[in-house]
Amino acid sequence: MNLMTNILLNVIIAFLIGSLLFGLQRKIMARIQGRPGPPIIQHLLHTLKFFIKESAFPYTAAMPFYIAITAMLSMIWVAAVIVGPVTGGSLLLIFGIYAVHKIVEHNAGSSSGSPYGKLSCVRAVYSAAAEVPLFAVLVIIYFKTGTMNITSLINYQAVHGPLLYAIPLAALMFFILILSKAPYSPFAITKGKDIVSGYETEHFGLLRGYLMMSESIAWYMLLWVFLTVFLGPISIPVYLIGMVVMSSIIAFINATTPLLNPNHSIMMQVTFAFVGIVGSFALLMI
Amino acid sequence: MDITILGSQIIGIIPLGDIVFYFTQFNLFMFATALAFTAIIAISKTETQVEAEFGKLGDRAVTVAKKEFKIRRFLAIICGLATAGAMITGDLFDFTLFVCLTGIVNIGIVGAVRQVDVLDAAYQYGLIAMMASLPLFGGAALILAATGTISLLAINTLAYTTPMMILGSILLFIGVAGETGVAPFFATKAEMFRTPGSPFLLIIHLSSLLILVRLIEILLIINKPF
Amino acid sequence: MDKLKTIGWILLIASFASIVYALIFNPASWIVYAISLVSIPLFILSLGIVTMAKGSKDEEEEKRREPFIGY
Repeated sequence: MNLMTNILLNVIIAFLIGSLLFGLQRKIMARIQGRPGPPIIQHLLHTLKFFIKESAFPYTAAMPFYIAITAMLSMIWVAAVIVGPVTGGSLLLIFGIYAVHKIVEHNAGSSSGSPYGKLSCVRAVYSAAAEVPLFAVLVIIYFKTGTMNITSLINYQAVHGPLLYAIPLAALMFFILILSKAPYSPFAITKGKDIVSGYETEHFGLLRGYLMMSESIAWYMLLWVFLTVFLGPISIPVYLIGMVVMSSIIAFINATTPLLNPNHSIMMQVTFAFVGIVGSFALLMI
Repeated sequence: MDITILGSQIIGIIPLGDIVFYFTQFNLFMFATALAFTAIIAISKTETQVEAEFGKLGDRAVTVAKKEFKIRRFLAIICGLATAGAMITGDLFDFTLFVCLTGIVNIGIVGAVRQVDVLDAAYQYGLIAMMASLPLFGGAALILAATGTISLLAINTLAYTTPMMILGSILLFIGVAGETGVAPFFATKAEMFRTPGSPFLLIIHLSSLLILVRLIEILLIINKPF
Repeated sequence: MDKLKTIGWILLIASFASIVYALIFNPASWIVYAISLVSIPLFILSLGIVTMAKGSKDEEEEKRREPFIGY
């Protein structure tokens, strides 16, 4: 198959499945709260609806930075799709992409001049502490397997069995990281409803739809990386089941926990990271 | 090119005499991202922050004045170029120099604003950045002493890690953590971001995060798995 | 908004052309990566700018910036 066709197909699949998973999350959260909830395709419909709405650009916004930052978010998650399903490249790139996602959250918030965006901007800097568990996961994976390349990791797990059993604490830390990216999660301080919509507040219409598209691709990619790095060579139905199961677990956690205060959110994530790092190195040494 | 670094192939090398820049998939992406953001910053205007006034129903607009804008934009572009250089350098000492330059320019970008609490935060960050230059260069020097080379491509081929290299790596990590203002020093840095001038704040944050990611690659090159 | 529409059309045609070029002519991998990284986001963005809804003319007056006149 043509490389470009491969990339395009993977991007479209990532977008569609990511949106459906977000919709599934909302449905499960609603049912736990005792209400019927929106249909599962609601997130997809919202994304498309926002995309064609009339947009206004704030008078006080930093142009063209305000528009360019949304294009950068899409660019990095397309790069993640290329690194992941298409070529099976380096995990360090996924880490880099995650770091740049934080940057986009930071600057989409501050580029409009709105006070809510500014609050989200500063919270995004705090939430960069969530990178510590990701860094630890990468180091532990490298020390366990000797490689950072996704294709090599799949081959390693074909021989030695899933990494989920070998380094379970690293898997837990990665799970906490995915949890912090979910909407309505206790760690989602940059998008909390106490600051309206955080960094997305002043990106209306077209740009909001664009941000939502990139976030759907991001969600799919995070789950894909987790399943590939910790479960190894699995077939497509198992990928889908795994993603649905993980989104459901995350929906349960999101429905039953409140949004934490920014400082507490970071404290919890760093505590999990500390336990994970110390525990994993202890397990590696034994 | 047959060299592999952390599992990925080297795509190319730019030899500028002693200083060698190398490209892998990862470095190239970081380099391109840093340059893309620098280009966006070079052509952008700044935003006007809107805040409520006490005692009245009006809004107060906080903007970036023209002269302040020009100097901050210049420093932001330098910071972006230094970050891009730090992404691809194959030289440990070169990397530490770029990090030091990034730290200085980060303070400069915020040093031109007129808000007292932002300047206070920048001052505290500046103190830590200056103190951190000791472990930063000390760590690089220790690694040079322990391995006999500052070239990352040469260190990549070494077979095992000595305790002195581990000590050098720890010092290097502390140095970069202080210079770029990551945890636990990031609290003051977050206060620096409350000022207007969004494109310039981007490069402060971007430089810190990209340098940290690159540092992890360098530390993993120096410390082999056991 | 006219400048925006013009830029939107130019970006749309340029990105669509480069994606079709990569699809049909199958160039070297690094060119395909570069094209997909730049063109796919720009294609989506420019598609949005071009298909953006526009408010009706008589509502234009109400949308212009107004001073806050109290409750």
